[in-house]
Amino acid sequence: AVLKKRLVKLVVNFLFYFRTDEAEPIGALLLEHCRITKEEENVFSISFVEEPERKYCFECDSKEQCQEWVEALKRASYEFMRRSLIFYRNEIQKMTGKDPLEQYGISEEARFQLGTRKQ
Amino acid sequence: MKLNERSVAHYATCDSPADHAGFLRKRVERHHHHGHHHHATSYQRRWFVLKGNLLFYFEERESREPVGLVVLEGCTVELCEAAEEFAFAIRFDDAGARAYVLVADGQAAMEAWVKALSRASFDYMRLVVRELEKQLEEASKSLAACRKSPRRSSSSSRKRHLSNPALLPLQEKPTVLENGYCTWGSDGGGVPGGAACPDHDGGHMKPPPLPPRRRSAASSTAGSPAPGLSPAMPESPVSPETACFSKLHSWYGQEIVVLRREWQERQKRGHL
Repeated sequence: AVLKKRLVKLVVNFLFYFRTDEAEPIGALLLEHCRITKEEENVFSISFVEEPERKYCFECDSKEQCQEWVEALKRASYEFMRRSLIFYRNEIQKMTGKDPLEQYGISEEARFQLGTRKQ
Repeated sequence: MKLNERSVAHYATCDSPADHAGFLRKRVERHHHHGHHHHATSYQRRWFVLKGNLLFYFEERESREPVGLVVLEGCTVELCEAAEEFAFAIRFDDAGARAYVLVADGQAAMEAWVKALSRASFDYMRLVVRELEKQLEEASKSLAACRKSPRRSSSSSRKRHLSNPALLPLQEKPTVLENGYCTWGSDGGGVPGGAACPDHDGGHMKPPPLPPRRRSAASSTAGSPAPGLSPAMPESPVSPETACFSKLHSWYGQEIVVLRREWQERQKRGHL
């Protein structure tokens, strides 16, 4: 496999990549329903749930940089944040007996509920 | 521009719950070709699905692939003084980016969409999560303060532990904190998004750490976001990132148009 040097930017739940001297991205990866894996040495890979054998590999300059990226990417999805929110909400409710989302007026919104709901 | 379209289409159509869905009429943005000037506005009825910060639209409700994608970052959602009733627009900070004018079936539908879209950004979600994280910390601390034993043990008994969330070691389970991989699969069963409710057995998990804060001119919002139809988010400065999303929007739409045109050509010629 040929490795190409790219500038990689994590913006919300997208990973954009650029040729190093260009301002416009040449590609993007939506980071939902994906798995971030630390591969050998300074390499991590991204694969997606519907095509798990296909891996997008990235080689970093150091193992620290690799670790940073893995940490950041694992938390980069909207779905991850949604689960965190539900977790906190549940914990706060257990501790205080109050629903913290009420003050925002969003406690009834479907996306913050525990339990699956069908569309 | 490359995109992992298969994954995107999969995310759009898989059975993970949508935050909002319904039919909307979308204004067709025409390019003014040389010599032609289209003045008449037309609308196309599309099936829209909102998941997280992504607004997908499909030709039909049953379509297996979206024909368009709008990333709801760096945008405002506002009512529209268009000729149509129940119209609203998604406009981007990036001046060069196209706006999306959408028309709902009625007042209630319009309000529901504007509300859902106004709160759909990643930044909004992150704001709420940070706020809750803070609240959890404060709740933990006051709970710890209540539970602290006034007795001082002078003996060397070490058996007694304070069952105190603040003192428990960090028990992070990386596998559980991955971003949605296989979460919604049929093998999931039990609690969906299992990361959200890890097994406690008396102790408390330290909450998952948040992604690094994106640079933004606005300071953190005090108090709750304004209810009603105005967007809750403080305005973020125009950043190069919003330009990336504009590119993605126009690319996504074009690709499908080209593919469809090619397919239609082939049909006409009797191929297929």
